[in-house]
Formats: sequence, C-alpha cells, structure tokens
Amino acid sequence: MKTDDLIRALAADTVRRPHLRTTLVLGMVPSMAIAVLAVWFVLGFRADLLTALVTPISIARILLTGVLGLAATRLALMLARPEGGQVARLWPLAAVAAAALGLLVWAYVSTPAEARQMATVGKTMTTCLVTIPLLSVLPVATLLYVLRQGATTAPMRAGFVAGLAGSGFAAAIYALHCTEDSPLFYVTWYGLAIMGVTLVSTLIGARALRW
Amino acid sequence: MAEQGDEWAPLLMAANAGDARAYARFLQAVTPVLRGIVRAKGGSLGTAGCEDVLQEVLLAIHLKRHTWEPGNPVRPWAYAITRHKVIDAFRARGRKIDLPIEDFAEVLAADAGPDPTEAADMAKMIGMLDTRSATIIRKIGLEGVSVAETGAAMTMSEGAVRVALHRALKTLAILRERHVK
Repeated sequence: MKTDDLIRALAADTVRRPHLRTTLVLGMVPSMAIAVLAVWFVLGFRADLLTALVTPISIARILLTGVLGLAATRLALMLARPEGGQVARLWPLAAVAAAALGLLVWAYVSTPAEARQMATVGKTMTTCLVTIPLLSVLPVATLLYVLRQGATTAPMRAGFVAGLAGSGFAAAIYALHCTEDSPLFYVTWYGLAIMGVTLVSTLIGARALRW
Repeated sequence: MAEQGDEWAPLLMAANAGDARAYARFLQAVTPVLRGIVRAKGGSLGTAGCEDVLQEVLLAIHLKRHTWEPGNPVRPWAYAITRHKVIDAFRARGRKIDLPIEDFAEVLAADAGPDPTEAADMAKMIGMLDTRSATIIRKIGLEGVSVAETGAAMTMSEGAVRVALHRALKTLAILRERHVK
C-alpha cells in the first residue's frame, strides 16, 4: 500500500474520540462515589468524623493521601500524552512522601516510648491493609483505562502514577472510616497498602500500556 | 516565537473538530517530515522498511490524535509518536536503537520520490481483516472512492461505513501490535 493511499483512508475516518480529561472525569466520579458509598454502608464513617475533620493530626492523612492522589492523577494525564514522558517530573510525589516521613518521625519523637508499639500496630491493621487495596481497584482501573486510551511512551512510569493516584484517593476515602489517628499507624499501614497497589499497577502498566 | 511546525496546529485542531479536508492536509504536511526522520534514523531498514514504519507512525498519529493538547506545539507530540514507533520497529527486528529526540528537528523532509514505495506490511495487515473491512479500506484508500459512494456500493449507510472504517483502522493497529510482539 502506498502512503498516499493510507492517508486517504485515514482522512476519511472522521469518528472523533473523547478528550482524555473527559474520559477521566466520566470514570473517576463514579469510581470514587462507589468507594465512598462502600465505606459508608459497609464499614460506616467514624462517629466523630466532623471533629476529626478539624483535628490537624487526623485531617493530615486525608490531606496527604488526597494531595498524593491529585498530584499523581495530574502526572497520569501528562504521561497519557506521547510527549509527556519527556516533561513529566515525579518530584512532587517525592515531596508528598517526604512530608509523610516527616510526620512519622515527628510522631515517633512525640509519642512516649512505651506507647509507640501500640500506636504503630493499632487495632485495625488488617482491615486497613485489605480495604485500601479493594477501594483502589476502580480508581486504578479507570486511570489505567484512560492511559490506555492515551498514548504513553513511558508505560511503567504511567502504571506507577496510576497506582499511586488510585490508592491515594482510596486511602483518603478509607480515612473517613478509620479512627487510628497516630501517624505511626497511618503513615506505616496506609503507606504499605499504597505501595502494594502501586507495585501491582506498575507491573500492569509495563505490560498493558504498550501500543 | 513562531516555532517551525506551528502551522500544523490549526490544521490538527480543525481535524480534531471533524474537518476531514484539514485533516488530509495535515497528514500530507507531516508525512514528508516524518519520512525524513524515519529514513535518517532507521535507514538500515531499507526504503521499503522505512515506508512501513512511516505508515505505522501515521496510523498511530491517526488513532491517537485526540491525545494532542490544543495550545501545545504539534511537533514534539508528533516526534514523540514517531520515536516510539521507530524504536518499536527496531525492537521487532531484534535490534536496539538510541534516538535522542533533540536531533529530530534538524532532519530534512523527504518526499516519497518519483516512484512511491509500496510498503508491504500494511497490505499484509489489511489482508488479515474481515472481507468487509478490507474492502472499505481498499475502496477508500487505494481506489479513492468517497465514503458515500462506498456506502452505496456496499449497501451500507454512510454512517455505518464511517464506523466500520474507524473500527478497521483500530484493528489494523492491534494486528500490527500482535504481529510485532
């Protein structure tokens, strides 16, 4: 086939595909809504949610995970474009991680030695480690779908940010239920759950986002 | 700063808004430039091999044209797709290639030449489509028949032809992917 013939065929195809941002919003809004409803109906919001929302140490984890979700989503949208691999910088994510580690160190220092172990292990570690990955499934799947509709030239990195974004949002939503307010608990276990989801998403991305 | 290649942006913008004529002009404008790049970077693939890669690039540009962000320059976007596909072509042949994207802007455009090369891969891939899809692509591409006439000849509505054409092109890209990996 001559290239001019191909061009003629391509030019005749006027079916338009939606903008990636549109696809993202259409997928993310229901995914997040389902996650919030699932936490609400299955686990229940924490009884003192309103108080928690104005308590700095408690709101910090919603802020941290939420900012992680937003920053990583922005990077995912960037990486969905072919030239995004050249311009996307991952350092904002490192800044969020550094803030979380700073909080962890601060909590370690400010918690009395004999209380540290109890604060770290908490009472709901298992629920946390199971629920956050479950809540991540739809948001991460949505982001991977958007990336697949896009044209990433950095499949692994794209899978990585999709995992961070989806699990970051999932953790923020889980925090509406979780009453473990010590950073020793939430930086550790939320962090572990997020890392697990991100690892899986990175591996999926490396395979599924090629084109 | 009027960067070279910005003249592509209005064409692609119109194309993405559904203007088929602007889109054809866009594809005709980028083709010699991308051919130049593919030949400069992938010369060892031979002229026909380069034309194969170029056609793959064009198909990718076509199917991914919604990933261009209006307001951004078109060139870095088109170059990134080209680079991706050239690397892919080398990988498919079990070879490696190092392609710094900074060099792309310095490459001269290349015309197909007086006797345009027949690239073999795309024809092979079209042969793997179902008969109806293959006929639609051949009629519109090779014979230059319009969508409306193709519909009339195949007793399909114009809209159905368009949808079938779109699906066929997507399938071509998937076939290509499988073929390569």
